[in-house]
Amino acid sequence: MSEAATTLRAPPGALTEGSPYGIPSRKLAMWLFIIADAATFGAILFAYGYLRLANPDWSKPFAFTPTIVNGMVMTVVLLTSSLTMVAGLAAAQSGRTAAGVRWLGVTMLLGLAFAALHLREWFAMIAEGWRLFRNPMGGSPLFGATFFGITGLHLLHVVCGVIVIGVIALGFRRGRFGAGHVEATALYWHFVDLVWMFVFPLVYLMNVR
Amino acid sequence: MKLYAVVWIGLILIVGLEVLLTYEHLPAGALLACLLGLALIEAALGVMYFMHLRYERRTLFWSLIPYLLFALVMMDHFWPDALRLMRQRLHGP
Repeated sequence: MSEAATTLRAPPGALTEGSPYGIPSRKLAMWLFIIADAATFGAILFAYGYLRLANPDWSKPFAFTPTIVNGMVMTVVLLTSSLTMVAGLAAAQSGRTAAGVRWLGVTMLLGLAFAALHLREWFAMIAEGWRLFRNPMGGSPLFGATFFGITGLHLLHVVCGVIVIGVIALGFRRGRFGAGHVEATALYWHFVDLVWMFVFPLVYLMNVR
Repeated sequence: MKLYAVVWIGLILIVGLEVLLTYEHLPAGALLACLLGLALIEAALGVMYFMHLRYERRTLFWSLIPYLLFALVMMDHFWPDALRLMRQRLHGP
């Protein structure tokens, strides 16, 4: 029998090579996306550092209250959402659908709380006169551009994450998605959390009055 | 879940330590080094435990992390230019 005939008669998947990483392709794709996105955030944080260093009149507008306290609460909220996501994944992997959906719902609520706190802070700054290219303190106008740019990109990731978790939770409840989908979503959500672990110290704590 | 709760508590304690250090009036360079070091520890804990990289095959770790670190280290090349701009700035009368 020719090689081509053997291939055609083989059961599906019998002649395919296993993944060298031992993980499903969707999980590998998510890891590759995370690495690319990490390089993106790395680049904008490096650019922020460059501008900060090259501008001696950089503004330091953040007081302990309300900004740093608000930032700490936001950090705890985001870290807690990672824990609830882990609980959701554990429930999904052990076949407890209702518990998995419940934990995903809690994660979404925490994500929304983070976004609400963030937007409240933004609106307070805008009310003080901060804009993308306007600095009410008289220092470098680049502060607004970098602050709103970096935190805005992160906030966009959070909002997208909340929407994706909602879609996956609905699909998981209806049986359209499995635990693998929840796992890939969890990877993304933890990554969004990790990015904040760099944004908070570099953009907030380094700009304390 | 107990292990994850411990990691979560550890991460929150690190955030508290970061805020504490910020108000210790350290020189800017020392503060930046401390905050970056603590952020890297947080990232490592998150990646290894929450993202389960610790429990995956080692090939996954070695295929992803060194390349990201390499890309980030390559971005370090423009610091001398930022320092040059800082030193060349003309001061007002």
